[in-house]
Amino acid sequence: MINELPYERLLQECLRGELRLLNAYLPRQQKSLADLLREEYPHLVCNDGSTHLFKRKELKYLASLIDADEQEALLLPMLIGVSSGQGEMAIICRGEVEEKVISKILDMPVTPKQQRIMIYKPQLSILRQMLKTTTQYLFSPKIID
Amino acid sequence: MPQLVKVRPTKIELIKLRRRLFLAERIQKIVKDRLSILTLEFLQIARETVGAKRKLIDNFSELYRALSIAAGYHGYIALEKELIASERDLEIAAGSRNVAGTRIPTFELKEAERVIRGYNLVDTSSWLDQTAQLSEKCLEAIVVMAELQSSLELLGREINRTKRIVNALEYLVIPGLKATIKYLKMKFEERDREEKSRLKRVKVLLEQR
Repeated sequence: MINELPYERLLQECLRGELRLLNAYLPRQQKSLADLLREEYPHLVCNDGSTHLFKRKELKYLASLIDADEQEALLLPMLIGVSSGQGEMAIICRGEVEEKVISKILDMPVTPKQQRIMIYKPQLSILRQMLKTTTQYLFSPKIID
Repeated sequence: MPQLVKVRPTKIELIKLRRRLFLAERIQKIVKDRLSILTLEFLQIARETVGAKRKLIDNFSELYRALSIAAGYHGYIALEKELIASERDLEIAAGSRNVAGTRIPTFELKEAERVIRGYNLVDTSSWLDQTAQLSEKCLEAIVVMAELQSSLELLGREINRTKRIVNALEYLVIPGLKATIKYLKMKFEERDREEKSRLKRVKVLLEQR
């Protein structure tokens, strides 16, 4: 009755790779919108050593939503935390700038709770449509628990 | 019927299997989340691709109309001469972005500072200007389309791969681990029962003596 699973080791390797892959693309450090606008090719270096290119069009769009001094405070890419098995996502925000940007894009008031703005999938798709390169998903074990 | 994992029937192995099951269930949750994110992005890009394709076709049909009018107005040879003069290099910023672990290319046509188009403005008509404007629009639409189409392909491939992992976990690994845990538990219970009956038998034998 006992059989050895032929693909078990393969699967385990695959899963290990899966977990490594999930957060490997996160940036080593976030950059402010003002800094990115000054760069010729606005980009970031990720944890896996790859580069993440921002679209200038998106940066200009974000800059049009906020004041010049707020551009220094807005750190990009904005991180979207994924909650397991739930329909809601959490945008991690450190200040009021993120709140302002999100509420302007979604055209509705948002309130952060414990430095997180909770949004739902329809709102997420609107957000991702507007900010493709300036937002990133974060699979955090904390959020997953 | 799920396949059993080949392990020695010991308590240590049971504990190890339980830990493995917990990990597998947790990984399944993460991979499922990733799959849902990838699907969401895929559908969004598919919707955008439809719009971009429609725009591209409209732009091209407008361009051909304008080009044929300009060709009729100036004549092919004169038009070709002007078009050769207006040739310029294109600059595209190419990089990549990451969607839940999938690298997707990004292209952005660099906005050229309002350069004067190479042709003579005095000798040419407004039809040519319109043609040039429309062709610039077409170029932008092509770049957008290229990005969307390659994203769609890459995301589709990644969704398939992730789906296979989710299915393997859901229908092979987790049921296998659960079945093995159940099998080991039954084996231990059986051992207990055997032990009890053995003791009873020994007791009876001792009493007979």
